[in-house]
Amino acid sequence: MEIEVTIRNAENGSVLNMELDPNTTIEDVIEGAAEFWHKEAGAYVLRRGKKLLKGQSTVADAGLKNEDVLELIPDPEGG
Amino acid sequence: MDSIIGSHCLVVGAGALGNETVKNLVLSGVGRITLVDMDHVEMSNLNRCLFFSVADAQGRAAKADMVVHGAARMAPDCELRPVVSRLEDVDLDWSSFDLAFGCLDNIKARLHLNSYSRHHGVPYVDAGTDGSRGKLQVVLGDGPCLQCTMNKSHYQVLERRFSCTGSDFSYYEPPMAAEVTTTATMSSMQVKEGLKILSGREDDCIRHLLFYDAMRNEMQTLEADIDPGCPNHEM
Repeated sequence: MEIEVTIRNAENGSVLNMELDPNTTIEDVIEGAAEFWHKEAGAYVLRRGKKLLKGQSTVADAGLKNEDVLELIPDPEGG
Repeated sequence: MDSIIGSHCLVVGAGALGNETVKNLVLSGVGRITLVDMDHVEMSNLNRCLFFSVADAQGRAAKADMVVHGAARMAPDCELRPVVSRLEDVDLDWSSFDLAFGCLDNIKARLHLNSYSRHHGVPYVDAGTDGSRGKLQVVLGDGPCLQCTMNKSHYQVLERRFSCTGSDFSYYEPPMAAEVTTTATMSSMQVKEGLKILSGREDDCIRHLLFYDAMRNEMQTLEADIDPGCPNHEM
């Protein structure tokens, strides 16, 4: 059963609604959202509340629920 | 203060962040600093690097040498050692370090420093910037490391250098140039976290990551978990 979540783009505040299979990995969610917003190649992370979601875990492992709001954040790697 | 004066810090990266971080460390009273960087000064560095000059860029001076030279003028009592090399090519006495600072411009080098620090039990404070955004991560013995918090998007750009210096290597030019105000902010927080560790106040450190967005006036601290599959946490 798919889970409906909202993903917020931390760079511009726009939102994306996604239906996720529980077996989808968080890093695939990141990739899908980044592609949707045509983001530059780079590192990104996904958070729910005060928690960084682990890339390799699945939507089910991460405990995502319907109507969760996640945020896609660029991970700055410059020095 | 004695623990800070008596400490030996490793700083890897002598770019914009490294300049600021070494400055902050010497002015905070750190007694010994080893600075590792393989690069030379470029004209494009000069808008955000305290210790670099036009003459340094024209003379292709080593970044580590110039930062040490400038910092020594600020704090003559600090023992400063420049190492002009890549981290993975130099044999360092890790048992002498109390703390490591990552001031790097690419994920691959960060992973090297993360791995060495974990292996040798040296706390690690990493900072990164991109335009008006910054990130800080504090890696302590009982917590997740950098590799635990990375995902596929990091590995896709593993070897890209996220700076706009130099023309003699392949590099990735980010959508926004580095801003010295962001660099200074992130370095200040990076060194503050380091000083907490050196003075035995690890419990007051950021757990585990901090993301900063200067344009939106937002700063958020995020918790992360140890990745059971992370090679740095295997017993």
